[in-house]
Amino acid sequence: MATPSQTSTQANHELFRVRQILDQVESKPVSVITEEPASLNAHPSKGYYFWLMAPAIALLAFISLYPFFWMIYMSLHDVEITKTTWNNFANFKNLVTDGRYLNGWLLLFQYSVMCLFLQIAIGVFLAVAINGSRFEKVLVTTMLMPMMMAPIVAGLVWYFLYNGTFGWYHWLLQSVGILGPKSILASSSTAMLGIVIVDVWQWTPLITLITLAGLKRVPQDQLEANMVDGASPLRNFVSVTLPNLYPVLLIAIMLRFMDNFRFIDSALVLTGGGPGNSTKILPIYLFEVSFKFFKLGRGAAIALTLLVVTIILGMLLVKVFDRQQPKKG
Amino acid sequence: MASREVVSYETPLSKAFKWFSAVFIVIYLIWTVLPIFVMFMSSFKDLLEAFNIPAVGDWAGVTVFFEFTPTFKHYHDLFVNLNFSRYILNSLIAAGGSAVISVILGSMAAYSLSRIEFKGKNDLFFWIISTRMAPVVAVMVPLFAIFRTMGLVGTLPGLILAYTTFNLPFAIWILKGFFDNVPYAIEEAQMVDGASRWQAFLAILPLVAPGIGAFVVLCILFAWNDFLFAAIIGSGGAKTLPVATRELVQPQNIQWGSIMAAGVVTTAPMMLLGLVIRRYLVTGLTMGAVKE
Repeated sequence: MATPSQTSTQANHELFRVRQILDQVESKPVSVITEEPASLNAHPSKGYYFWLMAPAIALLAFISLYPFFWMIYMSLHDVEITKTTWNNFANFKNLVTDGRYLNGWLLLFQYSVMCLFLQIAIGVFLAVAINGSRFEKVLVTTMLMPMMMAPIVAGLVWYFLYNGTFGWYHWLLQSVGILGPKSILASSSTAMLGIVIVDVWQWTPLITLITLAGLKRVPQDQLEANMVDGASPLRNFVSVTLPNLYPVLLIAIMLRFMDNFRFIDSALVLTGGGPGNSTKILPIYLFEVSFKFFKLGRGAAIALTLLVVTIILGMLLVKVFDRQQPKKG
Repeated sequence: MASREVVSYETPLSKAFKWFSAVFIVIYLIWTVLPIFVMFMSSFKDLLEAFNIPAVGDWAGVTVFFEFTPTFKHYHDLFVNLNFSRYILNSLIAAGGSAVISVILGSMAAYSLSRIEFKGKNDLFFWIISTRMAPVVAVMVPLFAIFRTMGLVGTLPGLILAYTTFNLPFAIWILKGFFDNVPYAIEEAQMVDGASRWQAFLAILPLVAPGIGAFVVLCILFAWNDFLFAAIIGSGGAKTLPVATRELVQPQNIQWGSIMAAGVVTTAPMMLLGLVIRRYLVTGLTMGAVKE
């Protein structure tokens, strides 16, 4: 997050200017002409705009930058209600040997990858199947419903459905013969699948929606031309549609990946990390350390590592956004 | 559309694909709607009826799902005995408050960011968006410590502030895209006509109003559905709907009827709002990266 502009060389500076001009040409074609004789008009000074954004920046600094430094401070201390004592990086040193912490990372990635794989597979297939259908609007609207649900409520409803004695979903799985009398959440080998299913249920529609938006951008004339040349629909899909979908899918993947880091509501209700530690993904472990055992210093150290990884993912995402930008025009 | 039909042709394979996808869509729809349907129905069932499921493998017994006498007692319970009207109010104030603050401050900031260039703008932008992407639990650890010393834990203002941590960056990021699409010439014309800068800003607001309206709704949705912030920062004095719903799960006694009713109360308004802003939903949920 360091400002690269501080070390700006001449070349860097030049590049920045070029980019600035390009941005103007691309985003505001109208104002390019009118902005030239700016001195004639009452073009507001920069100061005015800075004042306009000051309240938001100040508030954001207070609720995000200030806590961020607090987090660093806390992670280096033993934090108790009455006093805070320096502990010589003990919080971080302990993490290296903490099996549940390392396991939390492993489970988090396992969880995210499983969710993403299923969501992409189902979501993209649905989008392709729905695209251009007569019922597209109705279908999409129906699919939206789970996304509007509070994750905690979704978790509770599925907790009910999974129940070993009166859950309908459990009854179905048992009747089909997939599952024994034990609920999916009760055994440590299937519990992870249980929370993955809920996430897939709730968020696959988002992938479908994103893919549908991407499908509308696929050049139809190219598809037609290929068809006339005798390409099969499958061939067309692989060589024309898929490459066009790639950027939107990348965005979808990264967004979902980060959301899996961000939200643990439904998992918290469904398993709370159990049975054993089989679903104790890192955010749940962090939640326990910080707000169940109130080891805030240790929690801050875990939070810091989680934050750094998320920010790196975020940087990648913004890169992808930037590459998308000119295309939108 | 029409031109596509001219060249489209059917092979056995594409026909099979069509059938397969139709079946898949139907199964998927059932799968996606069923939990919501069960929640809705169970909220009107007596507990014994809600627990009534057929024996394993008894497919014909599915009809027991519909065998019940509707009762409103769970809803009655929620509002009369469990004080849920209070929690609805808390949810509304917290979500609405943070949405309004975020969109007002956010549109001012987004407008300025869209109008000027300066060194380090990209860095500032990245910082803004990274606060939105940070894991909620991670943000909460220091925020809780700070709010505790300030006495904001368990209060509605504290909760509003907490929600603003993710709504404000969201509003700035999304609304900037809207202002980028409004040419500067419009404000210039206003100012030539004698309007002040502030009046010029107000004059272009109607152009972005539909977008702003939609994002007020989205901000409300994010805050309304939140559980973690409300559970930790709002615990005690500012209990919101999701937290109150979660509290109906007690180790010895899970009040399923009330939980389902509370689920309906929490979910129904958001589903309606989701329909209203359907057009902006994809843009909003993908942070503006994908537009329909």
